[in-house]
Amino acid sequence: MLGGGVPRGRLSELAGPLSSGRTSLALSLLAGATRRGEIVAVVDGADAFDPASAQAAGVQLDHLLWVRPPRVREALRSSERLLEAHGFALVLLDPPDEPIAPAAWQRLARAASATGTALVTLSTRRVAGTCADLAIELKPTRAHFTGTPALLEELEIEVALMRHRSGPVARSTALRLHTHRAA
Amino acid sequence: MRTACLRVAELPLAAQLRARPELRGSPWAVVSDPGPRGELVAVSPEAARRGVRRLTSLAHARAVCPQLVAHTASPALDRAARAALLDAALACSPRAAPAPRASGVYAAEAAVFVDASGVSSLFQSERGFATALVARAGKLGLPATVAIASSRSVAHIAARSLTNAEDCRVLPAGTESAFLSRLPIDILDVDDAVAEKLTRFGVRNVGDLLALPRRALARRLGPDVLRLVARANGQEGDPPLPAAAGGPLSEAQDLEFPMDRLEPLTFVLQGMLSRLLERLEARQRACADLLLDLHLEGGGRDARRIGVAAASLDLRVLMRLVGHALEARPPRAPVVGVALASEGRAVERDQLDLFRPAGPAPTALGETLAALQVLCGNDRVGAPGVPDDHRPDAFAMRPFPLRKQRALDPMPPPPARSCLAVRSLRPPVSAQVWLHRGLPERIRSAVANGQVVHVAGPWRITGGWWAPEQRFAYDHFDVQTSDGIVSRLRLDHVRKRWQIDAVYD
Repeated sequence: MLGGGVPRGRLSELAGPLSSGRTSLALSLLAGATRRGEIVAVVDGADAFDPASAQAAGVQLDHLLWVRPPRVREALRSSERLLEAHGFALVLLDPPDEPIAPAAWQRLARAASATGTALVTLSTRRVAGTCADLAIELKPTRAHFTGTPALLEELEIEVALMRHRSGPVARSTALRLHTHRAA
Repeated sequence: MRTACLRVAELPLAAQLRARPELRGSPWAVVSDPGPRGELVAVSPEAARRGVRRLTSLAHARAVCPQLVAHTASPALDRAARAALLDAALACSPRAAPAPRASGVYAAEAAVFVDASGVSSLFQSERGFATALVARAGKLGLPATVAIASSRSVAHIAARSLTNAEDCRVLPAGTESAFLSRLPIDILDVDDAVAEKLTRFGVRNVGDLLALPRRALARRLGPDVLRLVARANGQEGDPPLPAAAGGPLSEAQDLEFPMDRLEPLTFVLQGMLSRLLERLEARQRACADLLLDLHLEGGGRDARRIGVAAASLDLRVLMRLVGHALEARPPRAPVVGVALASEGRAVERDQLDLFRPAGPAPTALGETLAALQVLCGNDRVGAPGVPDDHRPDAFAMRPFPLRKQRALDPMPPPPARSCLAVRSLRPPVSAQVWLHRGLPERIRSAVANGQVVHVAGPWRITGGWWAPEQRFAYDHFDVQTSDGIVSRLRLDHVRKRWQIDAVYD
């Protein structure tokens, strides 16, 4: 759908409610980068990163820098500091669910553009506006509980490309995310 | 062996000035005791110009010069200045050793002998080496002079004989006797009894001593005088100088009054850390973990280790780490003395790899890690780990590797299918749960609300039974509520409550 993944040196946004699969999609981006031997960082302002899930998704944990800022202000400053370090392939910003000023997104987008780092942010709804070069919205479709006794097997989600500065938009696709037991 | 002598004439003055550069140009003195009866140990040139003399009382000196600023002598500052002088020497040569402490008129001096053999190839000439030594000592805040000769004692004497106008002197091999013969006999560091006898014999300078027959001298003044003659000839057999020893570099300071607030203490620490970083830089090292030792009023001590994830020479970043450590656990009593030490670590160089993408440069990464630690806290930055633990929400955080200890082995294949991840909720969110036949039927919480559409479980997880505070027993359920959220619900049997500890996302 993206035709080449998330753009480097740009801000990309993955937006969707809980259980929409945004975390799974973000982990697959991290896994792809670390499998190439690149260094990535997670700014976990929401304190929601689960190392076991990341490992199961194929992320090389020793290639991943995990930063747990206590507040949104520190999360934004940490992201900026990581972008300034040059050399991280991807910085994933998962801010706490609090309002962030539009100027902060502009600042981050500008910091990302000066480097070769892809900055990806997770949120429940689109917050970066025109600062994001790429915006993807996700929503849950269905959860499959199968077998006796019942087990959570997979989660079906719909992924829609809402904004892409260098390509066509308004495309969507369905994805199935399998639990560790089923994967 | 060609030897250089790096010398500071007035160490108490230089040590105080190194810690308090704002005193430069003003009339000030070092006193043995802060009271009016305290005796002046050292006097700045400006104070000396205004008539203040050493060994007078502070009250008398203040009568002569009312603007005189007095600082109490600090053995800790003197020790740090002596160590800094050795660091300046080791920045230019691999072998150096402090000179034995002198007595009498030279009691205030500090000197270091430096191996000057073969330095011409590195510094163009011996004079170039001497200039580099003076410059390095100056960078560490020490006004030093240097003399180079064929023996330690002649180099030392030549350094002592330098006037204020010149800061280095090189004595070519074979010219030592000619140089020494013009100098007064005191310069040989003669003890008082021998000096008195020599004066009685009319021996005023070194040339007079060398002109006397040695056998007669030894008969009248004892065999020790022959060592004096050998020194005057530049013929002493010097043992080899030792190579630079490892170990932490330390800066210490005795405070003139107890400090019970963090702000002035931080100000003192900033100066000490700045001096420590200059010394580490001179030894081609970066600052690793800091050892902070606070001497408290009443005899107590507060020693702590301040972790530095990546060795750095950035004063601002390191100072913020120190500030955080002090704010997190302030000293329990007023502070009367401070010591700050660091082992130091070699500055890392990066070798790019042909077969892997280049990551952040180790130095830049190290500084970034230190800055992030300051911003978020020491225990909140690192590489994630999955511990060997049954608790589903267990996680570990290890130091992030700076260099290439990251896996060189081929990467494992990607998972065959897209994996469903969980978002942890830290701390878990309390939930109100209605049951039907032992299974959740309806949930109310800050995360998921509504009728339970699907449920899987329970899976019982227990552990930590050997310690009451670690004991846990959970029944886990995967539930989907009518609002579409798939979450991990648990019944905590120990605390008798329902919680949601993660959401499938």
